[in-house]
Amino acid sequence: VVPGETALAFYKAKNPTDKPIIGISTYNVIPFEAGQYFNKIQCFCFEEQRLNPQEEVDMPVFFYIDPEFVDDPKMAKVDLITLSYTFFEAKEGQTIPLPGYQ
Amino acid sequence: MSTAMNFGTKSFTPRPPDKGAFPLDHFGECSAFKERFMECLRDNGYESGACRQRAMAYLQQLMANEPLEKLGFKDLINEKSEAKPEKS
Repeated sequence: VVPGETALAFYKAKNPTDKPIIGISTYNVIPFEAGQYFNKIQCFCFEEQRLNPQEEVDMPVFFYIDPEFVDDPKMAKVDLITLSYTFFEAKEGQTIPLPGYQ
Repeated sequence: MSTAMNFGTKSFTPRPPDKGAFPLDHFGECSAFKERFMECLRDNGYESGACRQRAMAYLQQLMANEPLEKLGFKDLINEKSEAKPEKS
């Protein structure tokens, strides 16, 4: 992936239970300092997603690394950035506090 | 969900995506497009830049199933087509 160039990545989620689950996900970026350069254009996160029993679905993320990443001396040794997602089961009435979203 | 509690370092706040959420492909209508994209990645040593055409084809297919969203993402498709000529 080249900084500034949009890229597509896929995750896969499966509901292994016999009940539909409504989930909501958030993400994390490692190394921590690289997170400020990680820009998501579109993804599946922060919105409730419903998975039926045994359903398996592809979850795409469309993103780019901010070109200013290249100018940051702290990022000089960073050649691997790991993006991870965690899915939480959405409870009725619960929202994950997200600054500036909706 | 981890939050950094170190004062003095920039805190990482998860940001929502610029253009919102993708519709999920619950019925696997786009799986073939995804497979073609992944095939391209494998053939090109996972170099993302080599597979932009197929990435775009996947995204167009995904959005085609959600006509309302597609209107909202016209500028995204244009942005991608603009980005492509710069790369070659």
